[in-house]
Amino acid sequence: MAVFNIKNREIECKIVYYGPGRSGKTTNLEYIFKTYKKQVADQMVTIDTEGDRTLFFDFLPMGLGKIKGCDVKVQLYTVPGQVQYSSTRKLVLKGADGIVFVADSFTIRREKNMLSLKDLDQNLKECGLNIFKIPLILQYNKRDAGGSIPIMSIEMMQNDLNKQLKVPYFPASALTGEGVGGTLKECMKLTLVHLQKEFKWAQ
Amino acid sequence: MGIKEQIKTVLREAEIYRTQGLFNEAMVKFKYASELIEKNVKPENGRHLVNGITKKVELLKQTISKYNDPEKPPEMPVEIQNLIREKFSFSTDKESAALDGAIALTKFGQFERAIKEFKELLKMESFRLVAAKNILRCYFASSTSSSSAAEGAVFQYKEWLTLGLFTPGQLEKIRFFLENLLREKGIESGLPAAKEEKAAIKMEVAAKKAPDKAMPAIKPLIEIPGSGEEEEEFLDVSSVGIILETGEKKNPEIILDVSFQSGNMVCLIVPVREKLLIESMKAGLRLNNVQFYSPIAILNGSGVVAAFTKISSGPKMGNYSLDLKMFTN
Repeated sequence: MAVFNIKNREIECKIVYYGPGRSGKTTNLEYIFKTYKKQVADQMVTIDTEGDRTLFFDFLPMGLGKIKGCDVKVQLYTVPGQVQYSSTRKLVLKGADGIVFVADSFTIRREKNMLSLKDLDQNLKECGLNIFKIPLILQYNKRDAGGSIPIMSIEMMQNDLNKQLKVPYFPASALTGEGVGGTLKECMKLTLVHLQKEFKWAQ
Repeated sequence: MGIKEQIKTVLREAEIYRTQGLFNEAMVKFKYASELIEKNVKPENGRHLVNGITKKVELLKQTISKYNDPEKPPEMPVEIQNLIREKFSFSTDKESAALDGAIALTKFGQFERAIKEFKELLKMESFRLVAAKNILRCYFASSTSSSSAAEGAVFQYKEWLTLGLFTPGQLEKIRFFLENLLREKGIESGLPAAKEEKAAIKMEVAAKKAPDKAMPAIKPLIEIPGSGEEEEEFLDVSSVGIILETGEKKNPEIILDVSFQSGNMVCLIVPVREKLLIESMKAGLRLNNVQFYSPIAILNGSGVVAAFTKISSGPKMGNYSLDLKMFTN
């Protein structure tokens, strides 16, 4: 849930990276942390991993500076993707203002993507949010793996995940950084526009 | 593609999945490669390859089993615990936010720190009971064995009996709560009630705190029957869905966030846009079609409106506060 400090003209919002385990959510944040040093407000916190798996969440605070006369701060989170961490996912998702769904392009992960999106829908409902109303971006990650592993076409992923949602999507490779910045910028844009309706934060 | 190429491709794929941490997928591919070899390669040439694959599959099975049965979350550094407490408390008032933070620490498995936070909350009358229950929950969640959890929780309860911090009614509720926790663990226990011999309990608690000091023998505590006001034990509810029934027409479900929960009572914020709901609400009204969304289950039930008031100050000004007593089917 965004916090708007009228007196200081400061808005702080929360964007959550969601998706199946091993789809590249933490890699997205790591790339952002390395690349957007000017905007990164503090250290990236990775709340422990078990063999590279996110156990709790990752956290990266960013400051975007003044936008329309308002100091904009964004906090990026990732959820643990593994099925058994459902309650942690729900807790991290609570109060989200925008969501990036990181889908895995590997053909073998097709079903896992769909299950994770369904899980997102259910968890949003439990937080009193609606998947059709919250700012949401789909990222089709691991496009760079195409040479060695069967990957799904963008059309197939669109058909599986975005047929009803009809939200912006980005092919990406979080390892090389391709599409990572674009995904984040679009999500921030949608989120800030959405929050404008609620808070009228922009002058 | 010849069979040799096909086997190579499948093995390469399996290896990539393994290095990517997709262990189940890697195992499926290794097994498929193994089948291909057994069907198509002469045994004297294929045996060595199949043995190598079998070893890899065994290692994968061990890794998968480790991930499917994770150990208890590790205790995090204080800075991380502070971050959890700060970032996962969503209430606007300071006291409720402190409770949110302590509950979040519990959910992230930081039990020792959570107990410290809940103990601070014991100082506040309005949170005393919920904090006490959560402290007992933490004992059970953090302990590796049922018996040591029970020992810690029972000791804590006995200490509370001597402190004069709780009212007799609150102590009775805590006793019922603890007895339920113990029963879930298969431990039948006759816990002493508030009115029992305080002196004996005091001595027992003192003996535990200073075991090296010689203490007189403690007479066993007898069980006193409870008051019968056993309250229904509720899961943490994150949101509540209400379907209003107005005549023949069935309205869509209205989902409201829980801002605070104490036992089976939840406080909900009703946005001003929910006109139909606002017009229908009054204290004492029974809602027959209610869903309680908790992190682990969705429960169907009903609710009785305990209070319904307009919020007159703060960031939620203009919205309404609904206190709902929950009953599950």
